[in-house]
Amino acid sequence: MSNGQNHSTGLAAGLSQMLEGARDSAKGSYVIRAVGVRKVYKMGESETHALRGVTLDVRRGEYMSIMGPSGSGKSTFFNMIGGLDKPTAGKVYIDQVDIAQLDPYELAWLRCRKVGYIFQMFNLIQVMSCLENVMLPMSFAGKDSEEARERALEILELVGLGDRALHKPAEMSGGQQQRVAIARALANTPDILLADEPTGNLDLKTGEEIIELFSHLRKTLGVTIITATHDLKMLKASDRIVWIEDGSLARISTPEEANIHLEEVH
Amino acid sequence: MEQNIGKQIKLPFRRALQISLRGIRIRFGRSLVTVSGVVLGIAFLMSNLTGQLIKQAIAKERAQRDTVNMMLSLVRAEVGSVTGKKIAVAVCGTLNDTDRLLLEEIAAAAPESLRGLGVEAPGVTPVPVERLGEGASLLLILGSGARSEIPLANLAAGMSQRVALDSVEGRVYAGNEEANVRREPFFGRESDEQIQKARQQARAERFRTIWIVVISLLVTVLGVANALLMSVTERFREIGTMKCLGALSAFIRTLFLIESSLIGLAGSLVGVVLGALLPLIAYSFAYRFGLVFGSMPYGTLFMAAAGAVVVGTLLAVLAAIYPARFASRMVPASALRSTV
Repeated sequence: MSNGQNHSTGLAAGLSQMLEGARDSAKGSYVIRAVGVRKVYKMGESETHALRGVTLDVRRGEYMSIMGPSGSGKSTFFNMIGGLDKPTAGKVYIDQVDIAQLDPYELAWLRCRKVGYIFQMFNLIQVMSCLENVMLPMSFAGKDSEEARERALEILELVGLGDRALHKPAEMSGGQQQRVAIARALANTPDILLADEPTGNLDLKTGEEIIELFSHLRKTLGVTIITATHDLKMLKASDRIVWIEDGSLARISTPEEANIHLEEVH
Repeated sequence: MEQNIGKQIKLPFRRALQISLRGIRIRFGRSLVTVSGVVLGIAFLMSNLTGQLIKQAIAKERAQRDTVNMMLSLVRAEVGSVTGKKIAVAVCGTLNDTDRLLLEEIAAAAPESLRGLGVEAPGVTPVPVERLGEGASLLLILGSGARSEIPLANLAAGMSQRVALDSVEGRVYAGNEEANVRREPFFGRESDEQIQKARQQARAERFRTIWIVVISLLVTVLGVANALLMSVTERFREIGTMKCLGALSAFIRTLFLIESSLIGLAGSLVGVVLGALLPLIAYSFAYRFGLVFGSMPYGTLFMAAAGAVVVGTLLAVLAAIYPARFASRMVPASALRSTV
């Protein structure tokens, strides 16, 4: 939608500047590396093997989608590469750091600055205004509130909600809420945007706007985007599609190849 | 390899307080329910304390009045009605409240004169020792001081009728002779057995009250804990989100502890006011308004109120320990769950 593009251009330049500093410190070509990742959940006596050894590299600046039926271990893998969960065996490196070695303080630091999370249900803090929602990760990062405020307004401008900064999430449409959530995810200039079914709760048109915004952010900010999604449009926009089935990596395909598979399913 | 990971800093308390306060304000309805639980518990505790203070104060006032009445009846037994008589009062040491009350009663009965030695009380005319006994039909010896300092004969010189009443030693000296006639003390002395029985009863009563109060406070703690647990499960997505955004477990814990202590403080303050006012009003209907409010030791009442507020706040924090731990251990991935 035109609205989605107008707002994005102006701020992008400023944001990419801000991001550069963060990116300089870690110049590896892979932003995430998963090596033989296994995850076993113990429920009393029985063991569930959610992941049976997944190896995958995510390139810096890539737009990657993860597909898989429910119960395939997709969510587990998704959590793992987002630093939300630790593998039972194998290694996950985020920006060349083995997350299994991190203590809770370092993990919190990583979640705060390296990864931006976007949720299907938006997960905005309902008691806070949009501005405060965007400022929250910055205050967790210890940023002084005046600076955080300015920056939060800038990012909100970038996602096209500069005039809605003081509204409460409940007063906004789903698409607007997801934009606020994206702004919040970008607050600490992360290297990775991790989005779990970001268009799952949006109508088609709004979903497209969000996909457009993602593509735009990736181009202008060079941020790596990983989504778990079933949205065809979302899959088409991505560079690679990773299929997880029964706890293993089934195949990696391009959107063109994926189309064939999807048409088979439907 | 360069170090590209840091440690997350702890947030200032002020920030947690801000977020907590906002949470309470927005979830005002729910908070109010939790608060009212604390209000009830603390009001019950406070009403028990206040009731006890009122009963004590009334009992003290009554005992005083009984003593005064007994002394008055003793006076009447010796000299008949005080009205139109000359009364002399000698004080050793200082007067206590009972003595003052007795003097007031006598002055109110309109004697011809009320002369006093070493007394400063309304209605009492101070006179030197030689003139104290002059034509008096009754000599009252009051005060807590030693009796040996004032020889009875000196004080009683010139009395028309020689009756002296000693408020402390409970003796009546009468007749024209110097002979001291020992009478029964003013206060009927109860037997040791009776006293012991009364004490036992009082102890059992106190124990029962403490038991009920403790139970009610436990119920309050469980109520608050339950409400907070509900609040945690209700907010698990919010908590998970905060963790995804970089919140430390300690921050989440602080958030809930602050919320609970604020709930406890607010509930205790309201509870204390209710718990103090209700018994005061109820007893005022049962007794006289002035008696209840006049005899109340307000300093002690205030101390009891402060204690109840501290107890209420501490209990609320105690109730929050488990829910706060529960919340802080929530994994950040719980934010991703789409079903609530």
